Amino acid sequence: MKNRLKHLFLACAIVIGVTGLTGQVHAATTEPTAPCTKLGATETGPKKLKLVCAEISENKIWVPLGGDLVVAIPQDPGQLNPATTTSGAVHTASEMVYNGLVGLDDRLNPMPDLAESWTVNKKATVYTFKLRKGVKWHDGQPFTSADVKYSFDEVLLKYHSRTRASMLGAIDSITTPNPLTVVFKFKEPYAPLLLQLDVTEAPIVAKHIYDGTDPTKNPRNLSPVGTGPFKFGSYKTGSEIVLEKNKNYFKKGEPYLDRVIMRVIPNANTQVIAFETGEVDFLWGIPGPDRARLLTKKKVNYLVTRRNPGGANCMMTISFNLQKPILANFNVRKGIFQALDRNAFLKNILFNEGSVPVSPFSKGIAWAWGRKLDLPKYDAKAANSLLDSAGWTGRDGSIRTARGVYGVADGTKLSIDFLHFPTFSAYAELYKAQLKEVGIDVRLRPLESGPFSTAVFTKRDFDTNIISYCNGTDPEIGIRRMYDSKQIGPVAFSNAAGYSNATVDSLFQSARNTLDLNKRQVLYQKIQEDLVRDLPYVWLVESAGTRAFTADCGGFKPYGLFAETAYCQK
Amino acid sequence: MKLPYIGRRLLQVAPTVSGVLLLTFILIHIAPGDPIQALASGNGDEDYYAFMRHKFGLDQPLINQLGTYVGNILRGDLGTSYITGQSVSTTIGERLGATLLLTGTAIIVSSIIGIGLAVVASLRSDGALDHATNAASLILYASPVFWIAQLVLLFLSLRLGWFPVQGMNSAGLDAGVFGTVIDTAWHLALPAGVLAIQEVAVVARLMRSGIREELGQDYIRTARAKGASESQVVVRHALRSALLPVVTVIGNRIGNIFSGAMVVELIFGWPGLGQLILSSSQTRDTPVLLGIFLLVAFTVVLSNLITDLSYAWIDPRIRLK
Repeated sequence: MKNRLKHLFLACAIVIGVTGLTGQVHAATTEPTAPCTKLGATETGPKKLKLVCAEISENKIWVPLGGDLVVAIPQDPGQLNPATTTSGAVHTASEMVYNGLVGLDDRLNPMPDLAESWTVNKKATVYTFKLRKGVKWHDGQPFTSADVKYSFDEVLLKYHSRTRASMLGAIDSITTPNPLTVVFKFKEPYAPLLLQLDVTEAPIVAKHIYDGTDPTKNPRNLSPVGTGPFKFGSYKTGSEIVLEKNKNYFKKGEPYLDRVIMRVIPNANTQVIAFETGEVDFLWGIPGPDRARLLTKKKVNYLVTRRNPGGANCMMTISFNLQKPILANFNVRKGIFQALDRNAFLKNILFNEGSVPVSPFSKGIAWAWGRKLDLPKYDAKAANSLLDSAGWTGRDGSIRTARGVYGVADGTKLSIDFLHFPTFSAYAELYKAQLKEVGIDVRLRPLESGPFSTAVFTKRDFDTNIISYCNGTDPEIGIRRMYDSKQIGPVAFSNAAGYSNATVDSLFQSARNTLDLNKRQVLYQKIQEDLVRDLPYVWLVESAGTRAFTADCGGFKPYGLFAETAYCQK
Repeated sequence: MKLPYIGRRLLQVAPTVSGVLLLTFILIHIAPGDPIQALASGNGDEDYYAFMRHKFGLDQPLINQLGTYVGNILRGDLGTSYITGQSVSTTIGERLGATLLLTGTAIIVSSIIGIGLAVVASLRSDGALDHATNAASLILYASPVFWIAQLVLLFLSLRLGWFPVQGMNSAGLDAGVFGTVIDTAWHLALPAGVLAIQEVAVVARLMRSGIREELGQDYIRTARAKGASESQVVVRHALRSALLPVVTVIGNRIGNIFSGAMVVELIFGWPGLGQLILSSSQTRDTPVLLGIFLLVAFTVVLSNLITDLSYAWIDPRIRLK
């Protein structure tokens, strides 16, 4: 009997599904006013699913309801509480269980998430958030302002390295006048707040789960409770994490998938093979050499984005150690800059997945990147004469030697080292080859991230290096650390060049204290003009991430709650 | 007679294992990098680093850290992972089963197939099978595991679609006990097969030459003179004597199999200790790493002991003193 009912239901679903495909559905599955016309899924699988009308990236389309999405993740996260760490592995696997106060849309504009509205005072010292009514934790407890206060005071401002670094010194108090209101008060004007409250920068965790415990050791980090579109299903360490649809999600109708299954697949080649056989539906990235092959497949779709779980707007950046006599000379730095064909890096290493920077700040921060800046262009001739003028001379083709260079004995060969992660060896080879053209010898020093950080930031034992600096959603989050003279020190991925410029320092501080975006833009423009005059770094290429997914699925967002509106028809 | 021998051997375990532990502790700590970097993954300021170092006791002098660690070990506490906040014994325990299943299957399968091949080849000395076994084992022994693994994946999984590409079970599997066993076996076939291939090569070659040597001995001539059939001669007489060095080799290769398993686990996404070693060393999760090394040291020392004991059991001429 049960089976027959099931068949009947399936038959209905098939009819609905088929009519949906032919575009004749009017009121069968959703409210009659929904003006959905297009079908979201481009492929039709054997299993016909019920269709609903969904709004995805401002388009209204029919999407199938239900089904599983299998996602490959490269690393076992170990735990699932994103508020206690900025580890990319944890964030990728767990963010969909949670929400932030304020989300960010495709263009990085703040939009309501757990907070439905907010006000900021003129001086940008007091932010008042009104929380959404009726939101429940996955275990049924109500979500209130106490959870927000607890999340910041006891978890985020202690253990979330970015939020702690940027907010702990600035914040005065977080108060909760009533269960649906939270007030953030700052000691001085604090502009970037609305861009650092999303699920990546400030996921909100449940006070009733963590109160009185050490949040980094709470066993519930392995079976987390959140408010997000998916709730925790199961976690087999090293193997898979199953997230299940949150039927009571506060965004009505979402999510569309029944389950999101994350498979731990450490080897990139295996990920691609599993994707090709259909064991996996979604990849966070594709190794360069496999791209050309996968791109020709009809059943694959792509989402190219600057946002990644590890951080947004990442830029491959070469640092000059300004304390070294060779590189303290501006003409040498500019010579190296002009000797590098940045387009070749983009084409040969990133397979054109990204862009060549036109300013020191990533173009992904749409309002802050510098306009009309004259970054040195690729020009080997100009590079040669700059190096000559700096006292590094040599016959064509051979390594240059010093003559009258300050701090360097005459006759010294122009030889510099280049520190890089082994994963960036393609960059290293190209760098070495291009600098050889202008008579600079490069010694490559591949180092894993731990030894790399020690050599670069603690011992400052390097001439040049390459780092993927994620600029973040606001210059205050990921850019200031590269130039602020107070951030020259043993902290990983801070000011690698050892750049120190009092004007730039104070401009950064003013920009942080200015709420008005236009005024902030002016300050950041000035900073970038200074940086181009000094060239402490080579802003090499802006890398983008490619998500690949089977054409049976769609509706993905670039990161964070990436499958909130995803659907699959398989 | 045997008990005191076992007792003495067991006494040797303690200094060996503590030596390994001390050495790895020092090696891990003098290597640059620390777990806070992994937690922060390229973010955070000096204040954050100081706060987290203090929380984990990493701001203590190394000798104090070692003291605390040894004290905890003596109490049977392997410590807590910096990254997951879970106890190390739980973390390792969760992965141990998968690795034991993989390596255990590989050892058993490779021993049976390797010995079997050698015996069959010996029955027809210098026959086609004999030469084929010889050539194949040479080639397989010389091929790196990761290469064989990639080929097998491309051919048997991607091209023919016979086996799943990765994992220990199908995604989101919910199939009851029987279904899970079948599903696991299906997923186990390729990784265990790849891991076993090299062992098969080693065992078959050694066994083959062992049998060949034994076949020239006087007692074999006696057996033949008694009228025993060729298969009886090979299986009953030559095999038993030739087995000795093979057992030693299988026992001594436990360490090799563990390291092979690391590569195989990474390629096939098998959720065992190999994956855990890699991720823990990437994140400098010292307690987990030390826990695994402790376990591996124990296993290797114990498997050597068991090898010696089985020696005496297989060959009654050997007396352990």
